[in-house]
Formats: sequence, C-alpha cells, structure tokens
Amino acid sequence: MLLRDKLQSDPGFQYIIDALNLISAAGRRALLDFPFLTTPETVNAELDNLKTVIGVVSVMENLHTVSEIKHHLMCLHDSQGTVANLSQHSVINEVELFEVKNIAYTAAAVSRSAEPLGLKEIFSLPDLSDVFSLLDPDNTGLPHFYIYDSYHPDLPDIRKRLKQLQARTDDPEAATLYADLFAQHNDIQHSVEAKLSQQLWASADRLALAVKRLAYIDLLFAKAGLASAWNFTRPQITPSNQQQAEDPQAIKQADNQAFTQYKGLFNPRLLHRNQEHRLRYQPIDIIVHPGLCLITGANMAGKTVLLKTLGIAQLLTQFGMYVPAESATVTLVDDVIFCIGDEQNEMNGLSSFASEIIKISEVVQLSASQRLLILIDEPARTTNPVEGKAIVQALSDILISRDSFSLITTHYSQLGVPCRRLRIAGFREDLANATLSPENINLFMDYSLVEDNSDTVPQEALRIATLLRCDESLIQKALQHLKNQ
Amino acid sequence: MPFLKNILSSRSLSIVGLEKNTGKTVCLNYVLRRLHELGVSTAVTSIGVDGEQTDSVYATAKPEVTMYEGMYLITSERHYLQRRCVSEILDLSNQRTALGRLLTARILSSGKALISGAAATAILADQISRFKQQGIQLTVIDGALSRLSLASPTVTDSMILATGAAVSPNLQQLISKTRFVCRLIDLPEVEPAIRTALSQATSGLWALDSDGLAHDLNIPSVFMLSSANSDLFRYGTTLFASGAVSDRLLKILAAKEEIKQITLIIRDFTKLFVTPEVYNDFVRRGGSLMALRKSHLAAVTLNPTSPHGYALDSHTATQALSDALNLPVYDVMKIEQ
Repeated sequence: MLLRDKLQSDPGFQYIIDALNLISAAGRRALLDFPFLTTPETVNAELDNLKTVIGVVSVMENLHTVSEIKHHLMCLHDSQGTVANLSQHSVINEVELFEVKNIAYTAAAVSRSAEPLGLKEIFSLPDLSDVFSLLDPDNTGLPHFYIYDSYHPDLPDIRKRLKQLQARTDDPEAATLYADLFAQHNDIQHSVEAKLSQQLWASADRLALAVKRLAYIDLLFAKAGLASAWNFTRPQITPSNQQQAEDPQAIKQADNQAFTQYKGLFNPRLLHRNQEHRLRYQPIDIIVHPGLCLITGANMAGKTVLLKTLGIAQLLTQFGMYVPAESATVTLVDDVIFCIGDEQNEMNGLSSFASEIIKISEVVQLSASQRLLILIDEPARTTNPVEGKAIVQALSDILISRDSFSLITTHYSQLGVPCRRLRIAGFREDLANATLSPENINLFMDYSLVEDNSDTVPQEALRIATLLRCDESLIQKALQHLKNQ
Repeated sequence: MPFLKNILSSRSLSIVGLEKNTGKTVCLNYVLRRLHELGVSTAVTSIGVDGEQTDSVYATAKPEVTMYEGMYLITSERHYLQRRCVSEILDLSNQRTALGRLLTARILSSGKALISGAAATAILADQISRFKQQGIQLTVIDGALSRLSLASPTVTDSMILATGAAVSPNLQQLISKTRFVCRLIDLPEVEPAIRTALSQATSGLWALDSDGLAHDLNIPSVFMLSSANSDLFRYGTTLFASGAVSDRLLKILAAKEEIKQITLIIRDFTKLFVTPEVYNDFVRRGGSLMALRKSHLAAVTLNPTSPHGYALDSHTATQALSDALNLPVYDVMKIEQ
C-alpha cells in the first residue's frame, strides 16, 4: 500500500499532503510512492531521519547551506526516462547525456553541502564522480553539456571548417559543402553519443539510486518543514508483539501495552479554517485501546472530525511523518479504514446505504486477520431505525472482540453492547443563557471527551435545530410529537 | 542600419506578425545579425510552437533562424536536436511543450536553429526576467500566428510589427488594417499617478474621481455590463477596464449622453478586442481611450509578397504605408540593403 492509494481517504489528509513543499518532480513521485510502514523499526528509522533533519533545519546558522541544497534539488530534472533508457542499454542523445551529467552534478553538490550539516550518512548518495568526469572531459566543473571537441579527434577540424563555410552560405557551392559537412558532423556526434552511452550502461543502477535518494532528500526536507511550521510532534511507537512471538505470556503483555494516545490532537485543516475566521479551536486528548469504543455526543459536537483526525494522525505516523498533537503514542496497524459517510458513489450506481454496508462487510472480514484502525461514522443511519440499530449491534458484537482499534459514532441508544463509551462533552451548561447563533456556536461547545457509563445518547437535536434558526413551526410540531410519545 | 537604435534601449523585443507570411522570420534574422555585429548579448525564444519546418498553414518552407556565437536560445528538445549549429545545453526546464521540454543553450558556433517556446506569456515574462538577471542585454521573442499578447508591455518592452500582402493584396485594405493596429498600439499612456491609483484594480470595471481616487464599480466583468447600468458615472466619466474590452463596452459607452467626457483606460492594447468600425464610432462621438502602459513600436516591416504569389510594388507600398502611419516602414526583403 502506497501513499497515493490513501490520498483520497480524507480531504484533511490530502490538505496536509498538499502542503508539503516538494521542490522536484522526483520528490513528488517519491511522496506518492511512499509505502505505508507497518513495523516499529521502519517507522522509527524514518522518524529518526526526520528528527535529524528537523534539528538541522531549525538551526539559524544552517539555513544558508539548507537553501543551497534546496537550490540544487530545484535544478534536478525529471530524468526517470533517461535512466530507464540507460538500464535497457539504449543509446541516449545529447539532451539525455546532459540529464545524466546533471544527476551526477546534483548528487555531488548535495553530498558536499550535507557534510558540514552531518547529514551525509542519512542522505547516503552514491559516488558518481566517474560519471561526471566522463561527461566533463574539459574539466569545466559545470553542469552544462555538449559533444565536446575532445570526444573525437576529427571534431575540432570539422567544426572549424563549418564555421568558415557558415560565413559564406550565400554562395550555393559553400551551402552544399556546408550541408555535407554538417551531416558528417552529426554522424560523428552520434558515434560519440553511442560510445558515451555504452560507457554509462554499467552506471545505470547507481544513477537510479542517486535519483531515488535525491527525491527522498527532497521529501525529508518537505516533511521537516511542515512539521516545524505546523507544530507537529514525533509520535512514540509502541513495541510490536511480533518480537516476542514465541512467548505467549509476552504476547499477552504486549497486547495490554497496545494503545494509541494523543494529547492536544488537532485537525490542521479545521484549525486553519477557524483561524482564518477568528474562531476558537479546541484540541482534544484521547486514548484508545484495541476493541470497540462508541463515540456519542450532540450534533455539531465534532464526532466526525474526531474520527477523521484520528485517521489522519495514524496515516501520518505510518507514512513516516510527525503528527498534529502536543504528544502522541501510536500503535501501528495494518490499515486505516475510513467509513465516514461520504461514500455515496452515484457513478457506481450504489446508494449511500449500499456503499456503506459493502465497506462495513469488508471491515468485518479484514479485521478477522489484521489489526486495523476502523473509523465508522454513524453506521446504518440511512436505513430504518429498527434494522439499523440491529446492524449496529451486530457490528459492535463482532468488533468488540477483534484486535483492531474500532471507533464508531452513533446516535442509537440502548445498544446493550458491553464496550467503552466516550461522549463529547457538548454544550457548556454554565453558558446556557448566552445568546447562541450558528456563527458563535463553537464558543459554547466543549469538545473534550468524557468516559460515559450509560447506554443512552444525548438528545439535543431540537435544541441545535433551534439554534440554527430552524423554522419555528417545525420545531413546535416536533416537540409536540415527542410529548405524545 | 534601420531601426536598430530604437531597440537597443529595451531589454526585450517581440516580433509579431499581423498575418502568417508577413516576413517575421526574415525580420528576426536581420535583427539577430545586426545585434551580433554590434556585440549585443542576446537571447532568443518564441511563443508557442509556430509550425514545423514547413509552415503548417500554407506549406511554405519555415525558414530557420540563424543564431550567432555567444547567443542564448530557448527552444524545445525536438527542435534542439534538429539544429545546425554547435551549442551547449545549459538548462532543461520541466515545462513540457508538444515538442518536448524546453531547454536553454548557448551557441558555440554560428548556425541555424528552429525556435519554439513556452505557450504562456507568464512563462515568457519569467524567462525574460531570468535572462535579465544573468546580464543578457536583449531577449528577442519570435511571435506566433495571431498572437499579439506577447507584445503586451507587461511582457516585452518594445515590438516590431510585421505586415504585408498576406494581410490583404489590396493596398488600401492593407494600409487600413495596419493603421488600425498601430493606432491601438499608439494609444496615449496615462500619468504615473493614475497608474499607481489603479494598481489595486485587478478585476472588473473601475472609475476615477476628480481627486484621482479609484472606485470599484462592482461590475465583476465588463461583459456583464448592459446599457441599463445608469449610475456608471457616479464617480466621474474616467473609467478603467481591468480586463479585456470588446465592441460591447465601446458600444454601450458610445451610446451614453456623456460620451464627449468619457475617457476609457485599458491595461494595454493587447486587451482591446474591437472592430475598426466600433472603435472609430466611439472616437468620432468624442470618447477617448488611453492605456495604462504603452507599447514601444520600434518598427513596422512590410512583406510585399503574399504566399499566394501576389506581389505589391515594394516602393509604392512602403511609401504609402509610411505616409499613412507617419512612421518609417521597411521592406523586409530589401532590409539588408
């Protein structure tokens, strides 16, 4: 599974990925091809590299050298095709030879700048000085390229004669001579291109590696820049239970240790929108364990946002990035499944209920063999409440004993499922008499989570409808109906 | 040595043709040769891809451009590989054209090359400013078929207009069509203070009051304007159209009672898409037009031969056009003499 497969899973995730300031096309590709990491070793190795780069970037004195590296990356061309041509033992033309020289030049320049920053090891760029020398026969040290005179003994003379003839192309005889001579000149150029290509075939792998590493460096800087700018934090990774696989006691112990906890978790997209509108934003604290947790709360209390933000933080962690929180401890999962209700896909001819139930069925099957982070927003809300409630109960029965982290938001009461319940605090009663409006509602909401032992859900739908200046007669009639029940 | 001194003070020059086969490339070759002789450091590129080696519209040969030692060239990968000169690649951009990526090269030994370039004026403007930073004295841009936009003063400092029998084999029509374009190019420029006042006006229609303050008339596009808009002049009769202006706006304004007081300011002549009839009517009724920035027309060249084989008499035609425009006009085919 690659990052490109997860890009569409949530707009808030895409918002963060889009904010990564990648300089090169290769870096952009490295981002999209970044694998979903599932072992603590790989995630920690990635986060270690990121931490080192963040450390370097945050030192004022390093900024000049850092921008030097970025400048070199900016000059990197999209040379994937050229390197592929070389590894297939094709003859490449002078534009492609220029690209190869450019890769060698950039790798050397970045490596040189990395040294005083102590990043040379993390960058681990292959040495391509032989490639550069081959393409720089006159030792100019510059990344420019043409078929230099020194590549062929006949070139200097032929070029001299061409120059003389060019001066008198008005003379038809000279023009013919010029055309012939230029054809000859091009033949020599092609033979040089063929010879150089052959000499470069053996270096194709090293060139490919250099492009890959340079792209990775671009990505590391982008991740580091974003983490610093948006106040992200490094997640601690809980040890995996596979390490002590032989010892059943140890597995049990590791399972007990499995939890994911965030302090001050925030959703960057929402935070930025609120900041733009000068609105308050309340980060949240949460701890989740394997098994099922039901999330309840009034409408507009932020249940969906909570699910989405948990999913985003998990994805970021496993794509080797810092997370939007004050502190975080994360247990790795095999996949993050969003089932957030915008699943309706008219193009597939599926109703919202159909696509939801298909996804839920997938979750049930997958979670039998994998540890997942399952985020389901108000399952079965688009069908009749009798069957809908039964579906939620059945789903809960299954997920409660699974190894996955399952979070389900619901408005159904009396589900009778013996699982953990978290309620979003909702309206601050101390401010109950204040004048509320749709614009200032978030001033009067407490978005923090409280453990809830009751099996009932808050009933504040009509109150919120009133706040939203819903039609008076509608509300009065609804209240009447409630009374009659 | 006609018109070269008109060019030397500018940092960028566009060569635009009123039609295909008006002798743009001949003119470009002449300019490049003269610049080379004068030792002016020069870069050359083009807007978009102007056909292949043979002109795709009339299948006449598309002449290659002669580039001289030390000049800089931006062209596409494909055209670069077809060049007949010795040159060194300096840079490769990630912008793709139909003919591959654009690359920058320096000519090491004179010879011929085909030139293609970026299709967007914004990219051109960026390339020009980069050449400027590198100390290149003049960047020359070869225009493409009916693309006047690159002659906008926001892109190039000065321009050469190529016209000829290809525009019309009838001399009177050729003169009238060319004169109309020249008149638009030559619209008077506003005072710098007005330019400053209007710098915030990036969209829609604006008005300038008697104190020189700009007011948004809250008409998002002049295309949404109708003759029913009665309070157009609530701040005065000096208006500024930030975007394109078509016949429609001129017609609406020409029908107003206040027409004699109206001054319409446009960004530059490339934003004006009007027919001669409507323009003339607007002016005849007393309306005046001004430009935020004026283009510097360095020269008008004439190709007396049309691609259909029709030829005007060179001497008569250049003389007549020159009298009509009140500008020197050069026959591109005789320019060398």
